[in-house]
Amino acid sequence: MSLSEKNDGNPTSELEQNLEFLRQTYFFSGLPLEALKVFAYLCTREKFKQGEYLFQQDDDDGQAFYIIEGKANLEREQHAKIHVIRECNSGEFIGGLTLMGDMRRLFSLKATTDISCLIINREKFARTMEQFQGVMPKIFKALVNRIDSWEDHFLINRTDKCLECLRDLGVSLL
Amino acid sequence: MVKDEIPVVKRSLFSWILPGNLKFQLLLLVIIVVMVFARVLPLEMQKRIVNEAINLRNIDLLLIYSAIYLAAVVFFSLLKYLTNIIQTIITQRTTARMRKALYHHILTLPLNFFRKTQPGLVVNALGSELTLPGNFVGMAVSAPVTNILTLLAFAVYLFWLNPLLAAVSLSIYPIIVFLIPLLQKGVNRANKKRIVAARTYAGRIAEAISGIHEIQGNGAFEIENQKNDRLVDKLLKIRIVWSLYRFGVKTANGFFTSLGPFLVFILGGYLSIKGQLELGALVAFLSAQERLFDPWKELIEFYQVYQDGAVNYNRTVEYFDVEPEYQLAPKDREPLELDGSIEVRDLSFATDSGIHLLEGINISLKPGEHLALVGFSGSGKSTLALCIGQLYKYTGGSVLMGDREVSNLTKKDVIYNTGFVSQNPFIFDGTIEENILYSCRAKAGTNGRNGENGLPSLDDIIAILHQTGIFADVLRFGLNAILTHDRNKELIEVLIRVRKNFQRDFGEELADYVEFFDENKYLYFSSVSENLIFGTSKREEFKKTNLSTNHYFTDFLKQADLNRPLLSLGAELARQTVDILGNLPPDGVFFEQSPIAAEELDEYKLMTAQLKKKKLHELSDAHREMLLELALRFTPGVHKMVSLPQILETLILEGRALFREKISRDDPEAIRFYEMSEYIYSQTILNNIFFGKTKTANPKAQERINQSIIQLLIEEDLLEGIIEIGLHFDVGNKGDRLSGGQQQKLAIARVFLKAPRVLIMDEATSALDNKSQTRIQNLLETRWKKKSTVISVVHRLDTIKNYDKVAVMKAGKILEMGTYDELITRKGVLYELVGKK
Repeated sequence: MSLSEKNDGNPTSELEQNLEFLRQTYFFSGLPLEALKVFAYLCTREKFKQGEYLFQQDDDDGQAFYIIEGKANLEREQHAKIHVIRECNSGEFIGGLTLMGDMRRLFSLKATTDISCLIINREKFARTMEQFQGVMPKIFKALVNRIDSWEDHFLINRTDKCLECLRDLGVSLL
Repeated sequence: MVKDEIPVVKRSLFSWILPGNLKFQLLLLVIIVVMVFARVLPLEMQKRIVNEAINLRNIDLLLIYSAIYLAAVVFFSLLKYLTNIIQTIITQRTTARMRKALYHHILTLPLNFFRKTQPGLVVNALGSELTLPGNFVGMAVSAPVTNILTLLAFAVYLFWLNPLLAAVSLSIYPIIVFLIPLLQKGVNRANKKRIVAARTYAGRIAEAISGIHEIQGNGAFEIENQKNDRLVDKLLKIRIVWSLYRFGVKTANGFFTSLGPFLVFILGGYLSIKGQLELGALVAFLSAQERLFDPWKELIEFYQVYQDGAVNYNRTVEYFDVEPEYQLAPKDREPLELDGSIEVRDLSFATDSGIHLLEGINISLKPGEHLALVGFSGSGKSTLALCIGQLYKYTGGSVLMGDREVSNLTKKDVIYNTGFVSQNPFIFDGTIEENILYSCRAKAGTNGRNGENGLPSLDDIIAILHQTGIFADVLRFGLNAILTHDRNKELIEVLIRVRKNFQRDFGEELADYVEFFDENKYLYFSSVSENLIFGTSKREEFKKTNLSTNHYFTDFLKQADLNRPLLSLGAELARQTVDILGNLPPDGVFFEQSPIAAEELDEYKLMTAQLKKKKLHELSDAHREMLLELALRFTPGVHKMVSLPQILETLILEGRALFREKISRDDPEAIRFYEMSEYIYSQTILNNIFFGKTKTANPKAQERINQSIIQLLIEEDLLEGIIEIGLHFDVGNKGDRLSGGQQQKLAIARVFLKAPRVLIMDEATSALDNKSQTRIQNLLETRWKKKSTVISVVHRLDTIKNYDKVAVMKAGKILEMGTYDELITRKGVLYELVGKK
């Protein structure tokens, strides 16, 4: 409650800013404020220099990132070649699934500019989830919607360019 | 002794009364007999005072009888006090013995039992549930004997005084004995109804409150009120009936017992007037009559304690009346030394409800062979591992370990030969060292420190720390320790010496991760008090925790115009922190970044409630001190719920200079300011080496810091000393000051330290990062191959290539088994699994 009552003269606290960031992510936006505040409190700010990796392929770092400022490339190394998949920009949330369970990275995320980001890790996520029992279904729902709309979008817009991929599609049927 | 042979859950409540308490109970009996005599004696004195002393007008006799009366009363009170003490001792000793015995029993129960049992239930059973049975045992001899003897003594005395009168006045008691249970039945009936109605009522309220948005949204106040009011009215009626019965019992008891004196007056008065009864005898009779009531009441109360105690006791022991599956230790031999071979034949495991979790399992492992169990979750891998490790009792087939049937081995045989690392390892409150020695201590049956009683030495422990990859973590705990003035002198001298070299060699490289102490800069990773004082003191009054009550310091804050801004900062911190953490458990994860410690939270909750109603200047002194204390702890880099206003930052920086000036003038010895040439006792070892504080908890940054520090420590030969300090780090309740990965490494380390012949690992590396997993895997392949038989439930298929055997499981059966290469060539299930990955 007191988070909305601004303190006169005080600049916005990091916690309040974090809260605003989390509310912009599909993953956290549906959560009740009580739980959201705890996540905003538990996540940490980190800076990465241009050229540094936020995470690397094959690692299980168990972290989700919200890019506050800066840009990064999502890369995948295959057959000793590095392919840039796409560019991630400020405002993107990456790695929600990692919070839910053990998962090795299939990609690397490399900073192409200096980056400031918000990080929450699996352990903090799990311990908080234990305290807010009604919250998990909301997160599941958000994830399911996300996966479904991702594949829907892919099927409508992309499949004509990649007929080969069609055989392996169907992640929303898992 | 007999009592040790009967399991606690088979013992009756009565069996606790004499064994172990015999001396106390006998002593009680003797005291009681004397006490009863001391209780009746005053009655006789009363009679003699009236009949002899007063009647004969003899002052001497009056004094003598009064003296005896007084002595008897004093003596009785002393004895009563003594019996209470002995009774308490019996109660407490018995409760303690019950708790110990039940706890010892509970720990040996099958794992299965705990799936259905909440920890809270066990806590409750061992705590409050055993209180009443303990009370009963304390009273079991003294209460009935005292009261029945007293009743008898009074009755005999009454008959001795006047048989007719005695018979008439005692005739009431049979009526009470008949009537009270009848009324009591009414009480019980009404009570049951009350409990049911109260539950419905509670459910109804809970429903209304959780659906409050619907009620308000529909404006359905009337409907809900009617529902509620009906229940309240019903409950009201039941409660009145219940109360009527209860008071009925009380009143009937009171009424009939006070009828006694009435009968005595009528009949005794008549006899007295007729000269057939002396006045003294009548007085004594009336006294005795009245005193019948107390023992009677106590007997009824004792009956209640017995009933409640027996119910609680039986309910508790019946709940835990489960047989342990295995004998704890062999009786007439040393624990077996087995050779590590494993033979599983046609093994099956079914749950109580008959579901087969394992079926037809056959495995054969020579000593030192390694087996990986692979399959989807729920395929039975863990269950199989648990069966082989004797943690589950298999329901069919056989498991031979070193040619011995596992189900016939005692627990001690098993722990002598096997080590088990579970999926969710449990770390207990205590130091790293205690936890790392846990398995070895259990095996040796001792609580010694490293190197004692055959326990591994410090060198062994350090080797294991390295092998399992927890070395860097323990080093960090050591580096985060705060040294004291009197100890570690040599270490401190070295640390001051290395500080300069460190800044020279690594200062620039680490500047992003470390905030160095600088007199002219605000330190965002230090508290407000550290920023103000910028030094450390040996004196108690200048210690961090005492500053908010140190008048010299608070006066200084006022002079520096810091008092009010800090109070206001403290208030904001308290409000925000309580708002976020108010309903969370005292878990390390939640309180790491909080200025309020978990144990202080309740106090600050109360205070923030005050803050809502009052202005800062209206708060009590104690509350203002709390706020100031909080503000002085505020560390902007850590406590993110509030930001540091620019103006306050400037004021604090100015305050630092002002304070230095003031204290140097008033009390030059009080503070030693941060200097490159001085050790800072209030700071950790690491901060001392840095002459600053780390800014980040990011694992990568930590790794880089560690690398530089380890290099330095090796050069200076300090590594072992710091590790030893790190081993004394307290891991917190359930190890909550450790991360999941650290907990798992510690669990692996403690089993590796035991070096068992058979090692069972149930997804033991699931919480570890890639590097650590690989490290553990390499360790298994290099150090343990051919030495220990390993059965490893594996969750990652890239680790299984070098196992001697791989078994792929599905739905409780082994689908295929062989070496990795064989299975891949066969293109069966493993091939598919690996391909899919």
